Amino acid sequence: MNESQRVLELVTEAGELMLKNGAEVSRTQQTMEIMAKSLGVADFHGYVLTNGIFTSIGPENAMPAQVRSVPASTVHLGRVEAINQLSRRIAAGAVGLDEAYAELERIRQMPCAPAVRQVLACGFGSACFAILFGGVWQDGAVALAVGLGLQLALLGMDRWGVGKLFTRFLGAAFVALATLLIFSTGFGVNSDKAIIGALMPLVPGMALTLGIRDLIDSDFLSGVIRMLDALLTAACIALGAGLVLALANLIEGVAL
Amino acid sequence: MTGPLLIQLATAFCGTVCFAVLFHVPPRHLWCCGICGMAGWLVYWVSLQYQPDTVVASFLAVIPMAVCARACAILRKAPVTLFLIPGIFPLVPGAGIYYTAYSFILGDSAAAAAKGAETLKIAVALALGVAVVVAIPLRWGAGARSRQR
Repeated sequence: MNESQRVLELVTEAGELMLKNGAEVSRTQQTMEIMAKSLGVADFHGYVLTNGIFTSIGPENAMPAQVRSVPASTVHLGRVEAINQLSRRIAAGAVGLDEAYAELERIRQMPCAPAVRQVLACGFGSACFAILFGGVWQDGAVALAVGLGLQLALLGMDRWGVGKLFTRFLGAAFVALATLLIFSTGFGVNSDKAIIGALMPLVPGMALTLGIRDLIDSDFLSGVIRMLDALLTAACIALGAGLVLALANLIEGVAL
Repeated sequence: MTGPLLIQLATAFCGTVCFAVLFHVPPRHLWCCGICGMAGWLVYWVSLQYQPDTVVASFLAVIPMAVCARACAILRKAPVTLFLIPGIFPLVPGAGIYYTAYSFILGDSAAAAAKGAETLKIAVALALGVAVVVAIPLRWGAGARSRQR
């Protein structure tokens, strides 16, 4: 592999990492262009979609090209930020090619937050939103318990390999079921507030945000993919929670 | 009025920070995410005191949220996405999704349709608000540079 091919490899790799971890399309493309130019490859071309990257460099460098498929996976915004900083340093001329490779490998290895912290964050986040949306502290306590369980279930389903939409469906069903079960013991005041709080970790806030940003940047195809993702996710949540509510409605004595 | 407001602000801050952890935002940026979420919710809450429309309130609230996110991005030298994704969560219509399903289950189709439409309208309002703020170029001349390239 000659020098320019290594640059192409590095840049494509960096782009893949950014896209996979929650960067929007135009930022990925821009970062790749800046990195390539700063590393001495002037005729770099890239085309980025929500789930794929195509890159090539021009005739002076024997026209190598790369294609990457980037399936949806866990979002890690820390990695996006780290690559952003790396590209800044490369643009400033402070980092050579070999060093950049080492740095990229380090970013790839950046650990996720430990499972305990994720579970706690999900639980307390759910509790906060339950209170924020008008619940009293008992509702927050229920949402806390359900949120803790939800993140455990999400982590388990992720390891098991359940698809994303089905995960949301099962997650929403779990939230509604667990909340109603706790409320059936007589604890809690507003079951709807507790359910909504615990549903918040599932709602497609990220797909919505990234979809908007892609659309503003005129990346219409990627934007539509994200928006469709958001719509389908919302539908899955409604379906999952609705199914449990319908079952509860059938059973006498359950007050919704 | 100040008591409930303080609780609202505190829970908005904490909730946003918790969700930022779920997206693996680096710990040193967490409090900035919290500020963004809190700014959005503050405006949302205040505007609901003066008019009842949640769609209008969402649109009014997402603008300061996005401004906050951009300011944080500049001050902290980090991508704006880092603050925008957690910050938007208090405004995302999770309640709308739930009440749509709920009315549907109870057989109240009219209420379900109304709630569904409202949820969609809030999502569009959020999109417009973010678009208004994020689409403004930061420096004069950015377009000229990209044309030269």
